[in-house]
Amino acid sequence: MSQTTTKELPDDYLRRLDAVQPRDLPPDLDLFDEHTATRGARLNKAAYSLKDEHQRTLFSTDEEAWMEQFGLTADERELVRRRDWIGLWRSGMSIYVMVKLSGVTDTPLPVIGKQMRESGGR
Amino acid sequence: MARIVGGIGASHAPSMEHVYDAGEGVRGSDEWQPLFGPFGEVAQWLEQLRPDRLIVVYNDHMDEFFLNAYPTFALGVADSYPVADEGFGARPFPPLPGDAAFGWHIARSLVADEFDITICQELEVDHGVISPLPMVDFAEGEGGWKIPIVPLAVNVILHPLPSPLRCWKLGRAIRRAVMSYAEDLDVVVVGTGGLSHQLTGPQFGRVTPDWDKEFMRLLAEEPESLTRYTYAELIKLGGTESVEVVNWLAMRGALPADARPVVEAYYAHRIMGYGLQAFGVEGAAA
Repeated sequence: MSQTTTKELPDDYLRRLDAVQPRDLPPDLDLFDEHTATRGARLNKAAYSLKDEHQRTLFSTDEEAWMEQFGLTADERELVRRRDWIGLWRSGMSIYVMVKLSGVTDTPLPVIGKQMRESGGR
Repeated sequence: MARIVGGIGASHAPSMEHVYDAGEGVRGSDEWQPLFGPFGEVAQWLEQLRPDRLIVVYNDHMDEFFLNAYPTFALGVADSYPVADEGFGARPFPPLPGDAAFGWHIARSLVADEFDITICQELEVDHGVISPLPMVDFAEGEGGWKIPIVPLAVNVILHPLPSPLRCWKLGRAIRRAVMSYAEDLDVVVVGTGGLSHQLTGPQFGRVTPDWDKEFMRLLAEEPESLTRYTYAELIKLGGTESVEVVNWLAMRGALPADARPVVEAYYAHRIMGYGLQAFGVEGAAA
């Protein structure tokens, strides 16, 4: 922490500010925060859409057209095509929308878990 | 006047929904009896207590709320809460009954207490509510849901999260909101989520039973000590997704200090540390 205590920025405030952003975590314990949410904005919006039955139908009939709606990058599209769950996670996809993508691709959670465990960190 | 007559902490998970939906045989199987048996005990306890309302402190999993506008605290003020489609089609439960007038009172009381919640006249509830609730509050067949709810969603997904201390204080504020309500209602506060689980990265599936049991002990005996944990500590102890336990902390904050567990169960199974803890309140019926 670089800031110093002043009358307007007292010690207890600076402690709270420091604690609000978990840090010094092992690299394999990820957070969904500013960086993840920013990095994963397109992928999260795409997977979130699968709450809607029409979007699930479109995914099943024309996956490319489904992806086109969200302006996914070439790399992001490739991750979806390959069902690269660890890659999607590293690209900022939240586990809670990933579960919706797992549903429409008939991927059981243990399969995702196996990929996650075998990834050996980042 | 309304009063708080009990509290329930319960894990929530899609796995619990799959087991419930598979029917009595699976619920009572050797594999699931250690969790569903105690849920049956809580259901019996609740049947004797006969509360008029449940306030359910839970978290949504991007089923109602999304990252375009993610509320830190969101309160339902509806008379009915439909079940969300989480991406697989909604489970075939009728909408949960609510109590809009009570919800609005809680909203006013929380704002008076400087909890500036998002107020929701429409809210679809996901497994944060309806994975544990059928086990204690649903009669199959004609009966349906028994007790109207007021849902209160906490952001435990998108950091920065409200601190454990803040969630404890939310519970204290819920207590004041109930006690200041003019109608003569008995209320049970429910907190759902946790305990240990890790759903992302190379540690996927990590469960930490020692910490989970210690958490439940502290919640019962010295709940305020839990407000001193940082999220970094909670994540190291129980996993990234285990931070949902702050919903239990809000529940416990709504209870009197001397509330004691009447049903307790812990079952570490597969990728989840499942916890269940029902608190009785001195002087309440039952």
